[in-house]
Amino acid sequence: MHRILVVDDAATVRMYHRKILSDAGWHTDEALNGVEALERIHAQDGGGVYDLYVVDVNMPRMDGYSFVRELRRLGARHQAPVVMISTEAQRRDVDAALDAGANCYLVKPAQPSALVLSAALLLGDREAARTAAQGVRT
Amino acid sequence: MNQADLLDQFVIEARECLEAIGKRLLDVEQQPDNEALLNDLFRSVHTLKGNCGLFEFKALERVVHAGEDLLDRVRHRTLAYSAELADALLEAMDYSAQLIDQIERHGRIEGAADAASMAHASALRAFVCEPTSVPQLESAAPAATGARHSVPCQDDSPPWMKRLHLAGLTSRAGLLALRYVPEEGCFFKGEDPWRLARTVPGLLQLDIQGAGAWPQGEDRAAWDCYQCNLDIVLCTDAPRAEVEAHFRCVAEQVNWYAATPDAAADTSDVTSAVANAIGCVDPVSPLLHQRVVALWNDQCDLLERVGDSAGTVLAARNAMGHLLACLDNGAACAALAELPEGVQAASLLAWARANAPAAKEAVRAAARAVRPEPDIGTPPQRSDDGSTSQPQKVLKVGQEKVDRLMELIGEMVVAKNSLPYLAQRAEQVFQQRELAREIKAQYAVINRIAEDMQHAIMQVRMLPVGAVFQRFGRLIRDISRKLGKEVNLVVEGEDTEADKNVIEPLADPLIHILRNSLDHGIELPAVRLAAGKPAAGTIRIVARQESDRVIIEIHDDGAGVNAARVRDKAVERGLIPADKAATLSDDDAVQLIFLPGFSTADEISDLSGRGVGMDVVRTAIERINGGVELSSVQGQGTTLRLSLPLSMAVTTVMVIESAGRRLGVPMDMIVETVRVPAGDVHHFKQARTTVLRGRVVPLRALNDLLALDAAPVPNEEGELAVLVIRHANESVGLLVDHFHGASDIILKPLEGVLAGLVGFAGTALMGDGGVLMVLNPKELLQ
Repeated sequence: MHRILVVDDAATVRMYHRKILSDAGWHTDEALNGVEALERIHAQDGGGVYDLYVVDVNMPRMDGYSFVRELRRLGARHQAPVVMISTEAQRRDVDAALDAGANCYLVKPAQPSALVLSAALLLGDREAARTAAQGVRT
Repeated sequence: MNQADLLDQFVIEARECLEAIGKRLLDVEQQPDNEALLNDLFRSVHTLKGNCGLFEFKALERVVHAGEDLLDRVRHRTLAYSAELADALLEAMDYSAQLIDQIERHGRIEGAADAASMAHASALRAFVCEPTSVPQLESAAPAATGARHSVPCQDDSPPWMKRLHLAGLTSRAGLLALRYVPEEGCFFKGEDPWRLARTVPGLLQLDIQGAGAWPQGEDRAAWDCYQCNLDIVLCTDAPRAEVEAHFRCVAEQVNWYAATPDAAADTSDVTSAVANAIGCVDPVSPLLHQRVVALWNDQCDLLERVGDSAGTVLAARNAMGHLLACLDNGAACAALAELPEGVQAASLLAWARANAPAAKEAVRAAARAVRPEPDIGTPPQRSDDGSTSQPQKVLKVGQEKVDRLMELIGEMVVAKNSLPYLAQRAEQVFQQRELAREIKAQYAVINRIAEDMQHAIMQVRMLPVGAVFQRFGRLIRDISRKLGKEVNLVVEGEDTEADKNVIEPLADPLIHILRNSLDHGIELPAVRLAAGKPAAGTIRIVARQESDRVIIEIHDDGAGVNAARVRDKAVERGLIPADKAATLSDDDAVQLIFLPGFSTADEISDLSGRGVGMDVVRTAIERINGGVELSSVQGQGTTLRLSLPLSMAVTTVMVIESAGRRLGVPMDMIVETVRVPAGDVHHFKQARTTVLRGRVVPLRALNDLLALDAAPVPNEEGELAVLVIRHANESVGLLVDHFHGASDIILKPLEGVLAGLVGFAGTALMGDGGVLMVLNPKELLQ
């Protein structure tokens, strides 16, 4: 099963994203900020290797940009795609996310099917992607 | 998890956010230059806004969003923080709290909130708009990125076409763009422009902005909020006839622009070119396909700027592998896998481009129908690691669960009390002395565990008194501004803890006390200066624990209570006779303000003196078994001292007997128990008194007070049992028949038909299964 780490300081958003992603059939973990996310990645048990990171931008202690930069310095097995999600919808926000090393940028609130579609494509989960694409269409 | 859980979570977090915002706003006002505080404040608003977006709480989101924009500017120093700004934000947050209450109650926001939320939002936006008008879209787009967004409009396209991002939009039928500017009076014709625009068949993109400038400053009051001020631009791929039918009622308000077949063909060609290049045309789901292309371009974009980060290159490579896998493109997957392990960004990029030529600029916007917001002046959100506060990890438990635990342990405490009775029966009735001893030993063990449990559960319910104080900063700020006074609030010992049931009822009395201090206590700055005091008054709230009581003192350095005026007022109101008033010492006279119906305010002010006075405060405090004392020095200030129990869960009562009935009297009201020889009781007409240590103590027979027709029974030596209790700063003796021991009980208030009974505090279940009525001597004696 694909493992996804959801990083967001807002509990409601974490709950929302985790529900959407676990409904699509994936395992999810959560972290409240970049520091906690790195702690989870480094944890010996229960944490470790993720197949996708869904990351908020504005968080206390360590924001999304710094987290992705730190993540990209880690070993090869941690280099999974990053979906960055934030409320800002401007070009420079997309640029900032890409500058940090994120693979995809979505605007909050993400439509469930749009989030699942992007996640599925970046995970290489063909079935989930097809289901989600149909969801977006209807 | 379901929607309801998410909503509950939303409400909880929204409340936390609002509380944090309220607190931070005041903090920021104290230290406007503190970057970390500002960032923290901004983030709370930002989080709240983000959460709103998950639901259809437009009214709430509108207000919070306006607040966020405002704070973003403050944070980046393009707008100065001011008291007026804080006022507007605080008001908006108060309003948001109301909306959240609505959400909690009904799961949604009532329709009526729309107008109010717009008013709040525009009040906030007014701060932003004043210096410059709304930035123009064209000029706002950063020059550097402008080129990336080459909108494939022909030169003769109307300027409003620029508000759409047609790049990458594909359509077999060709694109149709239109601009719909509803007329000002459209609302009165029953039109709903927003709905009309949103329900356009085949809607691809929509942009909305104000048709004219929004009113600013003074003009806002005069502005007619029922006039429509909208300018909508949208783009659809439905046939024109269908769209025209949709707008048939407002046809004259719509401008049409058909994107030329060339322009449309351009973009679709590019998309299919990419599709072909990647090697897959998926008839099932063009959207899936389109999204793959967009993500592919994102990876190219990422590789372009990656620098020397091997991790990012690898991540992009992984992502591209997965994208290809989703398209079932095995050949390309294999080709990607054949690239060397440590491939450089440039080589990978070249490969990616070769496999998806020329598509990048045109298609990437397709999946991202992003509308640039009209306020593009916002600087980008960069990292702000300023805040260090980390929320304490807590388990959130519903209060009723803790209350249930408390009830259960209460029953447990009572149930265990039956063991001594059992031991007694074993010994006396069944002559089982050995068994009786074992039961007693077991009782001791169970008793200890039960007490520990009770203590632990009480700890769960303990709240810091600061929970109540939190709102005071805001209250004092608002009131003192209104009164034109300067006041500093100093809070000490806010982490002193007491039971939730003691803390929560404190809010209202404390607010009342503070209002009194602000209104009657603290003088105007000029008066203070004339009296040789600093212009700004100080109100100190100090909390501390003294043995098993929590003491809260509220001290102000204001004018103090004018004893002479209090005397006059009390006489004038007919509360005490004039001759008695004259004999009162100043200290005693000041206490008169606790009498019901007393108020010294000559004019009824907005803040205090609305007919409710200090007696309300005293009643409220006494209801939680607390006490109030007031001391005041004229010209120097007033101190109110609240003495509160740590917990109301367990009450110690003394069990007494009168006319064959056992009754409880709360221990904290009892001064002493004495036995008085019948001969030492003096009779004056109906009244009885005795002298205890040189002081005359009035005696009342409990039987009389309870309307029991029996005389107090003296013991064998002819002594009467007198329970001396404190009543209104005096001692009163209650004549009873017998004293029994003290007992810890869980006091339950009277319910149902008994609720109206005067003179009783409640009932308690005793260890032997009997019910003990607990007296409220204060009510009895009145």
